[in-house]
Amino acid sequence: MIVETEALGRTFGERTAVDALTFHIAPGEIVGLLGPNGAGKTTTIRMLATLLPASSGTARVCGHDIRDDPDAVRRSIGYVMQQVSPMGYYLLTGREKAEIEASLYHVPRRRVKERAAEVLDLVGLTEHADQLVQEYSGGMQKRLELACGLLHRPELLILDEPTLGLDVQSRHHVWEHIRTLGVAVLLATNYMDEADRLCDRLTIIDHGRTVATGTPAELKEALGVLTLDDVFLAHTGREVS
Amino acid sequence: MTQEVLALTRRWVIILFRERLNLLFSVLQPAVWLVFFAGGLSGAVVIDDYIAFALPGVIAFTVVGNSVTAAMPLLFDKETGYLDKLLSMPIRRGSILLSRFVFQVGMNSAQVIVILLIALPLGVRPATGVPGVIGILVTTALLTLAITSAALALACAAPSHGTFFAITGFATLPLLFMSNAFVPVDSMPAWMEPIARANPLTYAIEAMRLLVMEGWGGGVPVALGVLGVASGALLGVGVWQFARQTGQRVA
Ligand SMILES: Nc1ncnc2c1ncn2[C@@H]1O[C@H](COP(=O)(O)OP(=O)(O)OP(=O)(O)O)[C@@H](O)[C@H]1O
Ligand SMILES: [Mg+2]
Repeated sequence: MIVETEALGRTFGERTAVDALTFHIAPGEIVGLLGPNGAGKTTTIRMLATLLPASSGTARVCGHDIRDDPDAVRRSIGYVMQQVSPMGYYLLTGREKAEIEASLYHVPRRRVKERAAEVLDLVGLTEHADQLVQEYSGGMQKRLELACGLLHRPELLILDEPTLGLDVQSRHHVWEHIRTLGVAVLLATNYMDEADRLCDRLTIIDHGRTVATGTPAELKEALGVLTLDDVFLAHTGREVS
Repeated sequence: MTQEVLALTRRWVIILFRERLNLLFSVLQPAVWLVFFAGGLSGAVVIDDYIAFALPGVIAFTVVGNSVTAAMPLLFDKETGYLDKLLSMPIRRGSILLSRFVFQVGMNSAQVIVILLIALPLGVRPATGVPGVIGILVTTALLTLAITSAALALACAAPSHGTFFAITGFATLPLLFMSNAFVPVDSMPAWMEPIARANPLTYAIEAMRLLVMEGWGGGVPVALGVLGVASGALLGVGVWQFARQTGQRVA
């Protein structure tokens, strides 16, 4: 298994953000993590990415315990965050950012340039590689983030809302890349069409707890509805929290 | 670890040279200090060769100013979330700190050399010659370590960049003026003297002043020793705060 969590939980003071979450991801599988705002998607991901200690339960990523061997976990994952303002590298070109991060992922020195060019090409940024990130559109910035998550050929790609704010073309572009990668993906998203098209299996959570899990087809069939939106609303309610 | 530090430092160097105006102003700043303090005040003070006397103060001003801003990238990485991205990578936590020190020591050394060059036509030549210049660079490296550590600690502990700027704005000028930068400790008012003696800056300036005006004497190693201890202590605080911020041991 690429990811195996066992009753993974996290509290912030009184508030329980993630409550005894158990799920798994098999090699090559694309698993969607769905849930309303504040459901605990990002918190779950931050625990798996070793940025946030779990309050209870355990998880193994690529066979490594997130608590006991965080460095091995970090070596096996590529993490594309929900929101990272590109301000900190506005003045770098896409290529420079990719090369710097390749070095940080310990890509052998003589392979750094080559690998950076490869991932930029993969997301269709070759033409803009030597432009400052400052001049990138929002979609290009997201694609750059995605490219940088692939530098060290991770076994698991963690994507937190990778197409937030993108136009239809860019979203299809990103989906195309994700599908052709062949690596296991954990995808948190609020876009049901994205989940429907891309994911092999879905886990819907609400208030940090699993409320439904299965393939998109299974979930729709079980409720006799046509769209994933309906599945989602049936499981998580219609009120805005 | 070397690869990590080099990669992180490369980011700072690229950004430095892309921000040309910023670079220009930071290089010009000490020239302004030198003319303003040294040139302007020399008539009002009864010290022979006041420019030579004030030069270490100007160097200290510059190094302190630069080193305080050295924490800004960390501050912004923390707020933009890029620090989290870095922390999700398999890098040593210490590399993030070390790259700041490497960059800042390099940058400050270059700037000190520029200041010494500007001082040449003003008639200031370090009494200890080239070895003395190296001594000055060692002193400023220690001072950089001290102030950068303190600023990094503050950047980690501060809840927002507003707090960071409020505190550094509040502390920097008193730190500079409560030292022997422009007045010898002996001629200070009595209440100020103990403060100046407790200020690590005083020892950095003391060492540099001896190197510029007199020579290698017993005073230089003593001043450097005190400065070294202060730098070590502040480095400890910086590492501790960074470890607290990132929830990790800094290996
Ligand atoms: N650092 C924190 N301190 C306190 N509470 C937090 C913290 N981070 C998250 N929370 C809380 O945990 C809960 C889950 O937040 P999380 O960011 O995981 O939601 P999400 O599913 O990613 O939502 P969104 O779709 O809006 O991104 C929320 O109630 C949030 O307020
Ligand atoms: Mg989220």
